[in-house]
Amino acid sequence: MSYKSNSLKYLALQKFKKNFWGVFSFGFVVFVGIISVFAYVFAPDNSQYANQMHLSIHSKQPGFKVLMLIIPSQLKIEQSLVDKIFFGTKITDTETPISEYNVVERKLTYTEYASDGLKGVEKSVDLEVFPNQSVDGFIKERTFLFGTDKYGRDLLSRILVGARISFFIGFVAVFISLLLGILMGSIAGYFGGKIDAMIMWIINVTWSIPTLLLVIAITLALGKGFWQVFIAVGLTMWVEVARVVRGQVISVKEQQYVTAARALGFNDFRIITKHILPNIMAPVIVISAANFASAILIESGLSFLGIGAQPPMASWGAMIKDHYNYIILGKPYLAIIPGLCIMSLVMAFMLIGNALRDALDVKS
Amino acid sequence: MQKNPILNIKNLAIAFGDNQVIHNISYELFENEILGIVGESGSGKSVSSLAVLGLLPKKISKITSGQILFHNEDLTTISSKALQDIRGKKIAMIFQEPMSSLNPSMTCGKQVQEILLQHTKLSNQEAKEETLSLFEKVKLPNPSRVYDAYPHEISGGQKQRVMIAMAISCKPDILIADEPTTALDVTVQKDIIKLLKALQVETKMSIIFITHDLSLISEIADRILVMYKGDIVEKGDAHTIFHKAQHTYTKALISARPSLDTRLKVLPTIKDYLEGTIKDSIITYEDRKQKHEAIYSKPPLLEVINVEKEYISKSGWFSKPITFKAVNDVSFKLYEGETLGLVGESGCGKSTLGNAILQLDKATAGQILYKGTDITKLSNKAIKSLRKDIQIIFQDPYSSLNPRIPVGEAIMEPMQVHKLYNSNKERKTKVIEILERVGLSEDYFNRYPHEFSGGQRQRIGIARTIALQPKLIVCDESVSALDISVQAQVLNLLNELKDSFGFTYIFISHDLAVVKYMSDQLLVMNQGKIEELGDADTIYSTPNSAYTKKLIKAIPKGL
Repeated sequence: MSYKSNSLKYLALQKFKKNFWGVFSFGFVVFVGIISVFAYVFAPDNSQYANQMHLSIHSKQPGFKVLMLIIPSQLKIEQSLVDKIFFGTKITDTETPISEYNVVERKLTYTEYASDGLKGVEKSVDLEVFPNQSVDGFIKERTFLFGTDKYGRDLLSRILVGARISFFIGFVAVFISLLLGILMGSIAGYFGGKIDAMIMWIINVTWSIPTLLLVIAITLALGKGFWQVFIAVGLTMWVEVARVVRGQVISVKEQQYVTAARALGFNDFRIITKHILPNIMAPVIVISAANFASAILIESGLSFLGIGAQPPMASWGAMIKDHYNYIILGKPYLAIIPGLCIMSLVMAFMLIGNALRDALDVKS
Repeated sequence: MQKNPILNIKNLAIAFGDNQVIHNISYELFENEILGIVGESGSGKSVSSLAVLGLLPKKISKITSGQILFHNEDLTTISSKALQDIRGKKIAMIFQEPMSSLNPSMTCGKQVQEILLQHTKLSNQEAKEETLSLFEKVKLPNPSRVYDAYPHEISGGQKQRVMIAMAISCKPDILIADEPTTALDVTVQKDIIKLLKALQVETKMSIIFITHDLSLISEIADRILVMYKGDIVEKGDAHTIFHKAQHTYTKALISARPSLDTRLKVLPTIKDYLEGTIKDSIITYEDRKQKHEAIYSKPPLLEVINVEKEYISKSGWFSKPITFKAVNDVSFKLYEGETLGLVGESGCGKSTLGNAILQLDKATAGQILYKGTDITKLSNKAIKSLRKDIQIIFQDPYSSLNPRIPVGEAIMEPMQVHKLYNSNKERKTKVIEILERVGLSEDYFNRYPHEFSGGQRQRIGIARTIALQPKLIVCDESVSALDISVQAQVLNLLNELKDSFGFTYIFISHDLAVVKYMSDQLLVMNQGKIEELGDADTIYSTPNSAYTKKLIKAIPKGL
């Protein structure tokens, strides 16, 4: 049997491949995905949550350069490599931006950095604190590609680490919404009658609660934190999926192949999972792409309101919240950069959704 | 008699993308005549007439060459504005599906009136009077009621009459009727044909009548064109075509339809004609009698006793629920190895009865005994094992297969569910065996349904059904959606399988000719009740009830 068969799935994939924006966006999403997983590997500041603060150099422009003195801490922390790669290094060393330094008689004298032409405080420290009694490798010039935020943290690192939240909230929320939505929707659509009425009632009630209010209620019940936001967003989004699934199931259920399956003695579970669900996946996939985008937006909104990810965790929404008042102070890039990130990721998902919709449309 | 061609089509060729669907056809339509175009699906008969009205989908289709001359004006080069004036006013069209071609939110009268107001200078009042007189012309009962009725309030035949009224409202020169009666019952079809003929005589317009049914067309058309794969293979007046067909395709088309008088052992297919291997052995009266004696001496396989199926529709909060008996007090016996034909018009309850036997719908009253046990009272578990014994072959080969499952797996799945055979490997060899049995090959195992033609899909459906080795098969309009030549192949296959596996069939159809060819016993149903039950040939030759007589009379017999 050498014949290569053209399943509908294969045909749709071929069509998707021809759509430039779809493929491009898919590439972009994969790129962001890799970044968010390996954020600490790429980030210049690989401390946990990219949380190295240097208040003296707060809110500098992109490309800002400064000398950085690192005074190692006596405390030693044991951390495995895997832990370092995925959750960041726990750093106890002190970093101080300096403007000048010199070493005299086993003593390091340095001037702390001060902006706006002011002169910083002069301080000195024993060379004893450095291993090998030398400052080589402990004073480096640091470049902040995206500048620094209002606590003097590296904005680029925060963006990279923040991608994680945005990306994973999309996955988790869509996963929860699919799980609940497909289950409830297919049961309602397939069995109909009283079960349908009951599930529709639950759907309508859930739908009538504003998302923000529900998330606030869930956060109140489960406590603040980003996992709660994941769950809350997932719980609000399943209704949409359920409605779409229900409508599709009702129309597919009338198809003769479903009657055929019943006549052949298949049980309900088999009919739903093998004969109905594979045939209604197209709209579900499309709505999932849209949900992915809206989950990212909702999370940003929640973080902006302060009930999303909690500091010191980096999140794009929270970064905008921290810096939106800098927009009128002539430093808009602090809020614009995370804003652009949200926009491009949401846009990528929307474009993938559109491309999938076109590819899965059997009519043309 | 000197005749002027009113429509002259010269060397017309149409392509969909790169696919040439019409190759250089030429024909004329004269004044005051009915021209029949006959052919199977995909032969290009509808496409060529849509081209006349400029209704081809613009994006994908293209007229590659040729002219369509209407009163010596070329419709292929005319502006779309000018074409709009001709459309509806000079050339009108009626479609196959009367259910979907009327706007459901407008009353029938308003829809006809709208056309009159659009194309003529009549006032509102005059247009209304004109509409009522048109309704009278198309013999609608109680025209003023229909005028105020919404499409869902009138029957299918009446809707088609409204469509005809719409089409002739502007007194067109040409009326194109594209399968206008295919969706209708035979008795209604007969009336519509009569009406069209009468209207033609009265208004002296020309009609192009498109159908796949050769015997139907021979009853109405003066001249006939036979189309096959985008070519006109034969043209001539109806009588000559029917009696002295030249082209083998036409001959095959005429004889592929089961005859009402004799019963051939194997129906000839187009391939037989092309290869010249026609077997015309006939099942004689004696053969039948002998076979029936053997069948009826055994106890019945299935016994249906006073079965009723009631539907309750609730129209409002306070109104009483309305009950409607789709099947009303039906009893019959079915013996092993026989074919019971179940015939009736749409809505007579024949499919509902089939579903009740299959236990897809529960009967509301009565008993259904299968091998002596009442299957209406079985537990869900017992029903599952019963499913293996009683199976169904569906009407629509396009929707009865799951588009996402390769056909091999689709046939294998019921075997897995019912735990037939020991391993998947064994099942697979069995599936290939069955595929070969229904005339497909091993190569098709991994293909998906959309890669097959209608006839092939119906074979796959049959293969899936017989995979469970059932005893009783309900064929619910199993060949109605197929072209006549394919229909003959499938009917032959069903008979062949019956001989080799000993199936018992309940053959449900609205087509009396097909049912009569297939059946031993015939059951005529009307409005949920049994109208007549007996030997198929006896009922056909000496029908007792008035309804059966009407039904038999309405079958188009050809010339």
